[in-house]
Amino acid sequence: MLGTSPNKSTSGVLSSSRCLRHGRLARGQPFVGPLQYRARVFPYVFLRALLCARYGTIGGITAIYCTMKAPFPLATSRIRFQSLLENSPELILYQNAEGIMLDANPAFLTLVQQTRQQVRYWSYYDFLPLQVRTLCWEKLRETLATGHSVRFDLFASQGSSAPRHGDVLKVLLVDHGWVVGVHMLARDRSEKVKSQAALFRQNRDLQQISCIVSHNLRAPLANALGMVNLLRIGKSGSWSFQQAHTHLQASLPQLDQVLHDLNTILASRDQPGRAAPEAVPLADGVRQVVEDLHELVVQAGGTVEVYIPAGLRVPTNPAYLYSIFFHLLSHALKYRADERPRQVLITASRNPAGKTIVVADNGSGFEQERAGTSIFQLDQRFHPHHAGRGVGLYLVNTHVERIGGHMEAYSWVGEGARFLIFLPSGSHANRTH
Amino acid sequence: MRTVLIDDDALGIFLATRLFQRAGLGEELTTFVSPVEAVAFLQQQARDGTLPDVILLDLNMPMMSGWEVLAALQPLARHLQGHCAIYILTSSLAPADLNRAQECPLVTGVLHKPLDQAEVQAIRARARDR
Repeated sequence: MLGTSPNKSTSGVLSSSRCLRHGRLARGQPFVGPLQYRARVFPYVFLRALLCARYGTIGGITAIYCTMKAPFPLATSRIRFQSLLENSPELILYQNAEGIMLDANPAFLTLVQQTRQQVRYWSYYDFLPLQVRTLCWEKLRETLATGHSVRFDLFASQGSSAPRHGDVLKVLLVDHGWVVGVHMLARDRSEKVKSQAALFRQNRDLQQISCIVSHNLRAPLANALGMVNLLRIGKSGSWSFQQAHTHLQASLPQLDQVLHDLNTILASRDQPGRAAPEAVPLADGVRQVVEDLHELVVQAGGTVEVYIPAGLRVPTNPAYLYSIFFHLLSHALKYRADERPRQVLITASRNPAGKTIVVADNGSGFEQERAGTSIFQLDQRFHPHHAGRGVGLYLVNTHVERIGGHMEAYSWVGEGARFLIFLPSGSHANRTH
Repeated sequence: MRTVLIDDDALGIFLATRLFQRAGLGEELTTFVSPVEAVAFLQQQARDGTLPDVILLDLNMPMMSGWEVLAALQPLARHLQGHCAIYILTSSLAPADLNRAQECPLVTGVLHKPLDQAEVQAIRARARDR
């Protein structure tokens, strides 16, 4: 009834039941003239339409012809839906009860790089990775079973697209009491999820830095202050004076090391460029660390063996790579079992999933159950009788996560520890997931 | 003033030992690097009725944190309360640690490292008053 073209009057038949509610029409008297009519044409939109109505007779039935001048003429629902479907950046699909696609909008077609004809009558699940097909199937069944709209989060690739985070809504389509299909709308939340993840990471980093300052930095500083106090009250040249002096000398480099570590963490946060992916030859990076720690290895009476395939590169930057192996090797040498010569074995291998690097030692180890997953957190120390700052493994893990990998640690008390670094194929710096 | 110090840090133990010696309390100080061994020692002392007057407890320790030590000592609460003053001795400046310590009924107070002579005297004075 309402106009279909903008700025143009159109005629139609006004439902008599509606018109009868209004004044003279309601009393059955003829009415000619303008009629203000508030039409509820859309759930949340009220339009004022200026109607000019007159009676007429069609086939013996009294009808009202009206001329309407709508300030904002509305398109038909078909055109409105079509416009939404064609222009929406959200993915919109129309599926039947079996998940077969009956229609898809250009946003979806662009994403999967197919034409409408190509995707029509295909199962939507064919475009999804195996691991999320069950979820989508269950949500479709839930929509059909409950008759209600169902909303859920989906992290998946569509066709050959990169995996994206989607906020998916399934809406049942009922025609004359029969379920004729299900609309699926998917809004891309990847950017929002990405910024949330970045925010979460920053908060976690801030907590960790706060933890470093209040614990790791404070501990050697408190020791240094205590030793200075002893030097002040002690007798110069006495045994305890000498001891305090020696301890002060030991505390200050520790303090310096914590500051260096803190600086590394802050620098990697403030200068994302530092983490730019660069295919670094792994063997070269490891060799550099082994050379720099040579004296420590000799002091420990130990050996470090390195077996890394020639040409194996890892996507990181040299500073991170150095930091990773510096801390892992220091850890292996520090927590040694005193009864046997220390041995550290560093190996790397390629496999279909990516690259695996293993740093194994025959040191004192730690209680795996106690360490659990928190071994890479700050302030987690698992070795009694050994000094530790609790920063090293946290830093290593942070670097590995930043280049898209993850770490695992295994240990047996008195037998040694094994740290595994998994780098997936195509892992890159600043990866967020 | 019989005192037990539980601290994994050798420098912390050295400092406390020196300060206690200077205060004439060196003989009465027992130190533990391992919190696990310290808990076993205190459990035995509770059985013997010879719990110390003061326990100085570090928080950040490997294998067993100061909080875990407090949890392990909880069954001895009735022996400890009123007889043994437990002080947290930490280098931590984290407010969360301070709040947690204040909420723990076993804890008498929190001392920030480094320990100094004045604090040793204050601990002694308070132990005398009990």
